[in-house]
Amino acid sequence: MSYIDVLREAKDQVTPGMSACQGCGGELILRKALQIAGENTIIGIPPGCMAGAGVVGWNYANGLKIPVHIPLLDNSAAFFSGLSQMYQRKGRKDTNIVVLAGDGATADCGFQSLSAAAERGEKLLYICYDNEGYMNTGYQRSSTTTKGSRTSTTPIGSVVKGKTQQQKYVPLIIAMHNVEFCATASPSNMADFVAKVQKGLAASKNGFAYLHVFSPCPTGWGYAPDQGIEVARRAVKANMFPLWEMDRGEFKLNDENRKPITIAEFVKGIGKFKALSDEDIAAIQAMVDHRFEMLKRLAGK
Amino acid sequence: MGTKKVLTGNYAAAEAAALCRPDLVAAYPITPQSSVVEHIAEMVNNGDLDAAMVQVESEHSAMSVVQGAAAGGGRVFTATSAQGLALMFEPYFRMSTLRLPMVMAIATREMTSPETVWSGQQDAISVRDAGWIQVFCESNQEIIDMVIQGYMIAEDQRVMIPVNVCYDGFYSSHLTEGIDLPTQEEVDQFLPPMAPDNHPVLDPNNPFALDPMTAGPLLMKYRKNHLEAMHRALDVIDEVDAKFAKAFGRSYGGAIEEYRCDDADIVLVTIGGMSGTGKDAVDIAREKGIKVGLIKLRFIRPFPAERIAKALSGKKAFCVIDRSVCFGWSQGPMYMETKAALADTDSKFCHFSAIGGLGGADISLQEMLDTIDYLEANKNEPGEKETRWFLKD
Amino acid sequence: MERQHVTPIGNDGMYVLDTASWRILRPVMDKSKCVECGMCLAYCPVGAIIGSADKKYTITYDYCKGCGVCAAECPRKAIDMKPEGGEK
Repeated sequence: MSYIDVLREAKDQVTPGMSACQGCGGELILRKALQIAGENTIIGIPPGCMAGAGVVGWNYANGLKIPVHIPLLDNSAAFFSGLSQMYQRKGRKDTNIVVLAGDGATADCGFQSLSAAAERGEKLLYICYDNEGYMNTGYQRSSTTTKGSRTSTTPIGSVVKGKTQQQKYVPLIIAMHNVEFCATASPSNMADFVAKVQKGLAASKNGFAYLHVFSPCPTGWGYAPDQGIEVARRAVKANMFPLWEMDRGEFKLNDENRKPITIAEFVKGIGKFKALSDEDIAAIQAMVDHRFEMLKRLAGK
Repeated sequence: MGTKKVLTGNYAAAEAAALCRPDLVAAYPITPQSSVVEHIAEMVNNGDLDAAMVQVESEHSAMSVVQGAAAGGGRVFTATSAQGLALMFEPYFRMSTLRLPMVMAIATREMTSPETVWSGQQDAISVRDAGWIQVFCESNQEIIDMVIQGYMIAEDQRVMIPVNVCYDGFYSSHLTEGIDLPTQEEVDQFLPPMAPDNHPVLDPNNPFALDPMTAGPLLMKYRKNHLEAMHRALDVIDEVDAKFAKAFGRSYGGAIEEYRCDDADIVLVTIGGMSGTGKDAVDIAREKGIKVGLIKLRFIRPFPAERIAKALSGKKAFCVIDRSVCFGWSQGPMYMETKAALADTDSKFCHFSAIGGLGGADISLQEMLDTIDYLEANKNEPGEKETRWFLKD
Repeated sequence: MERQHVTPIGNDGMYVLDTASWRILRPVMDKSKCVECGMCLAYCPVGAIIGSADKKYTITYDYCKGCGVCAAECPRKAIDMKPEGGEK
């Protein structure tokens, strides 16, 4: 079955009308991931855009067709560790236990419980949709926000322009937890994304699986809503978001990206980068190049 | 009859939890609770306890893991103290407001600052408005019995509120006492396994949203239900106490214990381990002819206001001894609440707050005796006296 | 006892927003240009594009927010974004 066949045939588990913005990367990731996971799935969606967009329900109405819980912003991996442990104990090991959390709930305040669940090898699939900020509360910076980005807590001021730090690279940190499966994915590379969700779900039956997904955000980042996939594609091509996977310790670059585009080309037309100086662009480029070289070495290239 | 053993309070809590056949235990070490977790881990690793043991990285995650397991239909247990309880406050509040039943032991400890690891009840007392049922124990036997009773109370359909079994750090947690440890058969007979439909369980076979976004008017209904269930718990506590007495031959009198109160003029109100010293002081004072009794606060959430008012009715004077403080009142919190319980009585008491035993300091027999003498001397002068601090110099 | 904080799925229906009302531009597919690759279905964030077993792709308008991703991603430029005329 090709990935298109999978996406065409599998049932949508999400309410048809949710309040995610036009062209939201998170909505795309949620729908596709749950199509692949199917009905025998329990999902946790902590506070963030997806939870705020109504899929965790409202009063007596529901946003999903599968069981869902909105855990705390900082305890998703822990809560679903406990749930997964109960499913192992009940002998229902085929049920998918999935968390879909934003980068704030993953890289910042949820990082401690995530790291611990990964270290314990809890049997669940944790998907981070990384839109590089706290979009649901009005786009404040997070630790995964790219350097120089304009956010509501790193505004373009007359003295300081945007975020001054480089982003924290969470997926590689999680990979170093001896997890069953760890990968990055981008909605622009949908075949790769579908395959990794499938692998992640399978791996979650044996241990901890983690998927870090690039999630473009038209509202926060400032680009036209129809450009999300193109922005994601450019991020991959610029090595801003390299695609790799680590399957039981075997590290693999999914795309060696022999002809990368530059960071200057990546940031074009994206509002949050409009105040980047040449020095900023050079600094991001240097970080990205260094990181990609490191990933290549990990992959034995 | 069970087995006679000599156990610390922490081992008593661990043994009792194991007898309740938990599906999952998640905990993080903290003084003075650590040996609860250690002993449970020992039982699991030796194959004596069939439970999942999750070694988490913080108390926040301990409460979160047990919450997830409870939402998966499990009977769960954890234990903590002081800073750990403070760290877990976020999922702690949520456990009770999700109305998921469980038992958590708290080896009570003073809150930092100043830096301290020693006894005090400020930790558990500070979270008394987080929706849990809280019971304070005097002896290691009581710890065992209340852990077992705790599950029955928490899982009762009229209640559905998690239970804290609190006992004094070090004084109870680390000191040994002779206890009667019920057998597995006895506990199995008393406490049935949790029914599969005890509470909603996250399950693809019966999909629902657990805790969707909820608007104020509906949220208020949930809160009102919670408060009503708390109130109903007072009856359930008495029922379970009676049922337990029938099965094991031990009764604690329900939400409060009254000691030599019947003909008393003056009353000491105590909580936790200090009650033993208090009872000794009462006995000594009685020999001198002072008509003194003691009320031991056992359950403080729900607060047994009616029983306290009844027990104090006709008395002339009382003092509530707190092992914690009520910031903003210069008085102890249980004193504040006891006064609130008496708002509708006509009696004119001589009354005051006493605060002692903070940060591991002893509450001595002499301090209790002095307090009784003071009560006796002032019992005919109604009104509130100055707060008495059991300072050591 | 009344269940707390639990919303059984189906009892009160789904939380459904009329997201079609957000639409300013409407994707319109020129079937003569469509090569049935399915990219529009793969990238539609709303799931508004459905495909039949014989790989015919159709845009549905009940919840389409009009973001234009399908039009931007169609390799054959078979989808045009046209001003919304008020029809549902």
